[in-house]
Amino acid sequence: MTTDIIRTENISKHFGDVQAVSELSLNVRKGEIYGFLGLNGAGKTTTIRMLLGMIRPTSGTAFINGKIVSADNTELWGKVGSLVETPYAYPELTVRENLEIFRRLRFISDKKVIDNVVDKLKLNSYANRKAKNLSLGNNQRLGLAKALMHNPEILLLDEPANGLDPAGIYEIREMLSDLATNHGVTIFISSHILAEISRFSTRIGIIHEGKLVKELDTSQLEEISSKRLLINAGNIQLAYSVLVENGFNVEKTKDNHISLKDESAILKPDVIATLMGNAGCPPTLLKVEEEDLESYFFRIIGMKGGIQ
Amino acid sequence: MKSLIAALWVEILKIRKSNMWWATILFFMFVSSMMGLLMFVQIHPEISSKLGMIGNKASMLRFGEPNWQNYGTLLIQGIAGVGLVGIGFITSWIFGREFSDHTIKDILALPVSRSHIVLSKFIVIIIWALILSFVYFGSGLIIGLLIDIPGWNTEIVLKCANTYLITSVLMIFLSTPVAFIASYSRGYMLPMGFVILTLIVANFTGLVGLGPYFPWAIPGLFGTPTEIESMQLNNASYIILVFTSLLGLFGTLALWRFSDQM
Repeated sequence: MTTDIIRTENISKHFGDVQAVSELSLNVRKGEIYGFLGLNGAGKTTTIRMLLGMIRPTSGTAFINGKIVSADNTELWGKVGSLVETPYAYPELTVRENLEIFRRLRFISDKKVIDNVVDKLKLNSYANRKAKNLSLGNNQRLGLAKALMHNPEILLLDEPANGLDPAGIYEIREMLSDLATNHGVTIFISSHILAEISRFSTRIGIIHEGKLVKELDTSQLEEISSKRLLINAGNIQLAYSVLVENGFNVEKTKDNHISLKDESAILKPDVIATLMGNAGCPPTLLKVEEEDLESYFFRIIGMKGGIQ
Repeated sequence: MKSLIAALWVEILKIRKSNMWWATILFFMFVSSMMGLLMFVQIHPEISSKLGMIGNKASMLRFGEPNWQNYGTLLIQGIAGVGLVGIGFITSWIFGREFSDHTIKDILALPVSRSHIVLSKFIVIIIWALILSFVYFGSGLIIGLLIDIPGWNTEIVLKCANTYLITSVLMIFLSTPVAFIASYSRGYMLPMGFVILTLIVANFTGLVGLGPYFPWAIPGLFGTPTEIESMQLNNASYIILVFTSLLGLFGTLALWRFSDQM
């Protein structure tokens, strides 16, 4: 039996006339990494803030561990770590003092948690540096350290890769994957960096204009994403005619290649190669192109960029 | 209780590590030394002309004979204005900086309740404001002794200290509406503007005889009572002051609890 650790039931949020989130229902099971995708302003941060009790939904309810999220329900947050948008810290305090604040506010008696999380986030060289003198990347690491210091069972992360260099992004991705896979931590992570999310999420939700437009398992992505056979030939005009004569649905791409979306062509490109070879226009390029998450995302939200 | 103590510890750390702590202490010492300078000019009128504006002002104010009674009154008059601004400033900073530094979002989804965070902030405001009051009066006394104000009388000084302390406490009551405005406006510029406005309006209400009913004029009227009948404080004055304070306190608590924290 699966357990929903994070759940929303038709939550909506209006700011005056602006509908930031509209009747959004989702659920995240234990140990899942749920990638929450959307353009800037799609409603990702508003949703995370509602899940953290920072914003009251106009309607609907959010649940964490089966309990209703509300500002009064402080016991919920003992097991939750969060990072909301760009992390900020008390500028006059050092990294260690900033972490000490959160150790106190989380009632953690073991003082070693600070050293441990400083080690884990590779902040050792900056531990005694004032937060106002940190780079954006190290501020992000400090934000993650605050979210992770109490070994939470649930992580709500809003754009955690912001400001990190490629090595940092890789490192954080590996850390989060390890937390979910080996420690059963449930992770809800929002991002607009699609490639990043597709690499390690187990499930994906796409939010657009405040609405959850698609939810899928990452393993399903291959099945549901569009594919096409991309062809080039020395005599492209002849190749085009041959394929049309054989009943294929032929399209030309902008760079003067041929695109076939017929399932028979995609499944058996060797047949196409034989056909073209016999007709005197052997292919110089024959490639099955699969839609990536980015293209899929753009197709789902109805913007240009998907496989046409 | 554990929650409140944790929040209090955090607030004290933030103040201890800030430049504001020493800046406010130095500022209050500076103001009390200015009061001492005014009294010094009163004692030595022959140097008044050499001091330009300050000398003229001191002569103009004419605080009566240079003695401890008048010096105590001068210190209380000073705190009635500077205290309102000073306490308003530290309140604006303590509440407003969470918003201007964007740290508010990190302290909302924690096991510590929001009410305890707000209460801990008010507790440190009270402690900080009382320390500043002691610094002001204490340094004022030392300066008074250094410039050798004549007629030291322990009884008079203690009476002044008592009036001074109550005036300070009345001013601390008025920090809560400032906290509300800082939380509502999500910064410290608007509450600072509000503090200056209350100072101006307090003077105006004093002129038109409504001082006893305007909360921000009440501490000043308590500290330096006059013979004018319309300027006498009454029970309604204290009720208004306490009511204003409670309104600010519960308003701030409600704002942190119920409003959206973006």
